[in-house]
Amino acid sequence: MQTTTLSRIGLWAAWGFVALVLVFLYAPLIPPAVNSFEGAGGDKGLFVNYAAILTDQRLVAAGRISLTVGLLVALISPLLALLAAEAVRVWRIPKLVLGVLLIPLFVPGISMGVATALFFQTLGIQPSLLTITAVQVIWALPFAFLIILTVMANFDPVYREAAYMSGANRLQAFFEVELPQIHPGILGAAVFSLILSFNETIRTSVVQGGRNTVQTYLWSQYQQVGLSPNLYALMTVLIVATLLLIGALAVMDMRAGRNRG
Amino acid sequence: MPRRWTETLARAAVLGLPLAALFALILGPLAITLVISFWEKTGFSMRPAFSAANYAAFFSGVRLEVLMRSLWVAVSATVIMLLIAYPIAYLVATRVREALVRPVLFLFAVPFLVNYVVRTFAWSDLLSRNGLVNSALVSWGIADAPLDWLLYSDFAVYLGLVTAYMPFMVFPIWLSLSGIDHRLVEASWMLGEGPFTTFRKIVLPLSLPGVIAAAIFGFVGAFGEVAVSLILGGTGYQLLGNAIQSALNVLHYPLAAAISSVSTLLMLALLVAWSRMFDIRLFLGKIMGR
Repeated sequence: MQTTTLSRIGLWAAWGFVALVLVFLYAPLIPPAVNSFEGAGGDKGLFVNYAAILTDQRLVAAGRISLTVGLLVALISPLLALLAAEAVRVWRIPKLVLGVLLIPLFVPGISMGVATALFFQTLGIQPSLLTITAVQVIWALPFAFLIILTVMANFDPVYREAAYMSGANRLQAFFEVELPQIHPGILGAAVFSLILSFNETIRTSVVQGGRNTVQTYLWSQYQQVGLSPNLYALMTVLIVATLLLIGALAVMDMRAGRNRG
Repeated sequence: MPRRWTETLARAAVLGLPLAALFALILGPLAITLVISFWEKTGFSMRPAFSAANYAAFFSGVRLEVLMRSLWVAVSATVIMLLIAYPIAYLVATRVREALVRPVLFLFAVPFLVNYVVRTFAWSDLLSRNGLVNSALVSWGIADAPLDWLLYSDFAVYLGLVTAYMPFMVFPIWLSLSGIDHRLVEASWMLGEGPFTTFRKIVLPLSLPGVIAAAIFGFVGAFGEVAVSLILGGTGYQLLGNAIQSALNVLHYPLAAAISSVSTLLMLALLVAWSRMFDIRLFLGKIMGR
């Protein structure tokens, strides 16, 4: 009796600790939104700092680049991850592929940026949308790869065997039997890659040359002149966009969970 | 027979080429950086050479201090992160219903996914002299005056590092904890061991692959940090990432390459040691579907 009371208190204390940690993790999501309304209100309207973003050509250009690169990363990372996962299955080389593909997780952002910049410079490739996309694809890839590996591992090979028995070749078996089953996972990897593209600042800042994404624009403005209400509005837009994408991811996951059983 | 040949060739092209391109894009930059780290700087450019001058410049004077501080900060921050991430992962693995595991882990994924430079800006705002934390402390009477050591201090840097890298570390630790065969724990109980001994002799050793993987991730992140040190440490607070950044700012690419290579080689050494100690496929058993 006494032990159960004690262990119950211990468990409550443990969950209290988890709640406290979560408060610390979520607290930074709030200040940018608060600061983005500085000087707003009255006859200027509530969203004056948000409106200012749209009239600033540099910000609009940066936003366009962020979106373009994000969509490219969302397209390319899952596709490459899918091919890599298939290669692991066909050639049975999980250790090699995992070992190389997970390296970007463990290289400091600035080091990966410098290395990629020097690599492109050596090949004579000028900084462009392509170099920005490449460095972000490499960053998103380990995550996309792990997600797709998980999804493929949960796919029962019996279905594939059944397809072969009914006379399908490898490609048909993949496109007509396996893909319909694993496509939620691939879509999830795509959304995740888009989120990680929005998350990326430092690597991009080294390889971008004269262009700016929203994220690197914030970073360079901070270093040159400091932050302003407009930039806080921009951060808030970025946070809200990320949260919406995460929400979409959660909804997809719940649906997949219902289909799982 | 010829059909098999074409199929093998087609597969080699469809799977092999993208994979080769990926390997080149990941390993190529790291290799070229290592080569360039031995080159010489000339004015605004560099020229091929084989000189250790960049490493000599890195391992002496102010930069050596930065290296030493980075090592210390990264090691101590990683210990703090593990002390927070492990209990959370343990709770999720042992005390949360199967149906709730994903939602709880999701709670830790959300802040990790929001742009971390933006989150660091937010911390500098919260911790400033007239920020939310100081206002609260003063108005609740906990502090008489705003605290100066909240921002531009070791405290702020550690807070920024821990909140940046710790959430992700919960996942590999949870992965290895949830992969432990429960019969081993039950066997330990049957042999009359209490919860603490069981944890020390069974659970902790078996969860080490995840713990070490998480530790390497946190350590390397903190070691090569740029944003947290600049924004929360204030001017003059440098970690290794800032040393690379300042070498870039004066266009000294070979030096930036040398410092980058040091961090990359350190990371590779840690990863190789990790894969020697543990079977990566055992660790990813859940993911690889075994």
